[in-house]
Amino acid sequence: MKQNFKVALAQISCHKGDKKANIQKIEDYVERARRQGAELVIFPELSLTGYILRDELYGLAEKIPGQSTIAVEKIARKYGTYIVFGMPELSEKAQATLYNTAVLIGPKGYIGKYRKMHLPTHSVFEEKRYFRQGYQAEAFETELGKLGLIICYDIFFPEVSRLIRLEGAQLIICISASPAVRRTFFETLTVARAIENTSFLAYVNLVGIEDGLQFWGGSRLIGPNGKVIATAKYDEEDLVIGEIDYAEIRPIEAFVPTLRDLRAELFDKLKEKTEKL
Amino acid sequence: MPNPISIKGRTLKLTQNVLNLNWEEVKTKITRFIRDYVEKSKAKGIVLGLSGGVDSSTAAALSAMAIGGNKVLGLMLPERETYNPKDVKHAELVAEKFGIKTEKIDITPALEALEKTIPVFDPEDKLCKGNLKARIRMLYLYYYANKLNLIVCGSSDKSETMIGYFTKWGDVAADISPLMDLYKTQVRKLAKHIGVPDVIVEKPPSPMLWPGQTAEEEIGIKYETLDLILYGLEHFMKTEEIADQLGLQKDLVEKVKRRWQIMEHKRRMPLTTKIQYRTVGFDFRLPFT
Repeated sequence: MKQNFKVALAQISCHKGDKKANIQKIEDYVERARRQGAELVIFPELSLTGYILRDELYGLAEKIPGQSTIAVEKIARKYGTYIVFGMPELSEKAQATLYNTAVLIGPKGYIGKYRKMHLPTHSVFEEKRYFRQGYQAEAFETELGKLGLIICYDIFFPEVSRLIRLEGAQLIICISASPAVRRTFFETLTVARAIENTSFLAYVNLVGIEDGLQFWGGSRLIGPNGKVIATAKYDEEDLVIGEIDYAEIRPIEAFVPTLRDLRAELFDKLKEKTEKL
Repeated sequence: MPNPISIKGRTLKLTQNVLNLNWEEVKTKITRFIRDYVEKSKAKGIVLGLSGGVDSSTAAALSAMAIGGNKVLGLMLPERETYNPKDVKHAELVAEKFGIKTEKIDITPALEALEKTIPVFDPEDKLCKGNLKARIRMLYLYYYANKLNLIVCGSSDKSETMIGYFTKWGDVAADISPLMDLYKTQVRKLAKHIGVPDVIVEKPPSPMLWPGQTAEEEIGIKYETLDLILYGLEHFMKTEEIADQLGLQKDLVEKVKRRWQIMEHKRRMPLTTKIQYRTVGFDFRLPFT
């Protein structure tokens, strides 16, 4: 397993509903990122299709693995990289049951997927209208260490990041489609999740305007001490490379030992109180 | 009423049967809706444009059934270029049959006044000129509504609304549109059921924007076929499947689908960009009445 490597934050805007064009864009960004030495390239939430699709989601969702993941596998093989991207997933057991899913693909092919657990359905969001929520936090063993995936609104719920950290993930990858009015929340929470878990956190947000919603970009790589290692531009497409060195975790984990000090009995209480809210 | 998703076997069968509804139930639903809206808005009645076509005749008849013909005012708004005495006669026929009050106003002077004062007016551009006519009719309807405390009842149907075959802020402008969830061929069936004269039900539809204009010729497809394509799209069918079942070229179905998709801007409040906490058209979610 590699201790240090470069990660690329591929902050793109999407062609609405045009998977072919978006896969082409994924390839273009992977090629550019690879030239700069990145071994992991991360794209935003629902980057295969764009975020605001409403009823068109039913026609665009695909099974995983499926046609689009196979196309991205080819790119990963060609450039020898790991790729994370988001797409609407069609359940393999049903015909119109969808998930908002993050997919992890490696140089040797498909590795795994994470289905978003917290679906925002308030303000401008209507995700529960279209998606079924996921039930499993996911971290995957790779040559780049264990990688944990979360999606956007999940970051407001520290449990998901905690779970994947406890699974052994040292890099939490959060793909996102966050509109500009929520920027300060994410800028704070990305740092918080990194610090409280003493892990790296890569946040990759969408840009562009979809149905009047302006996605703010501002993708970032954060170190286990909360230091922002790399940031992408606000509001514009960008490709930013940051370097991860897992060795940085050790001193900070000794300095603020949040994992050592976790109190398991509180989680039982949390469960009990949450059910009775 | 048949199940709205009448799936037989594995796929939906696109035949004229899928468009059959219990017309008595539809009539009850629509008249109850109109009556309820007029009561809740505390208006004195309804004003609507009466062209002599099937949609406006049906909307007028249902309005009269809902609140009484004496509370419904039908404005006949002819214009010189597209004037057809038959249409006026048909409008009068409906008004008489359902006891609706009418007024006839020639919109030609208003149109000519605008033509003279628009520096870029192009008499050859029949679409722009036609849209002007539809928007002038809207002005008359809203003046009456304003002045007499009436609700404007639109008569747009689902087929035209889905493919955007109407004038933005023109004929579609209304406070309520009771026929908007019925395809054109369904409006014809409902019209027949409630006693709209056959001569109106059976004549070829026209938005009357320019002389000789007929909807089906302009759209390039018969409503019987268009409605089944749209019904398939409504039910999330794939374009290949619709084309296959109806024996059509896939390109034609794709064209209808694209038209449906790109016309969303004509069906919703103008788009803004989100800047603040709650935003019109995004997350201000208040009931109508």
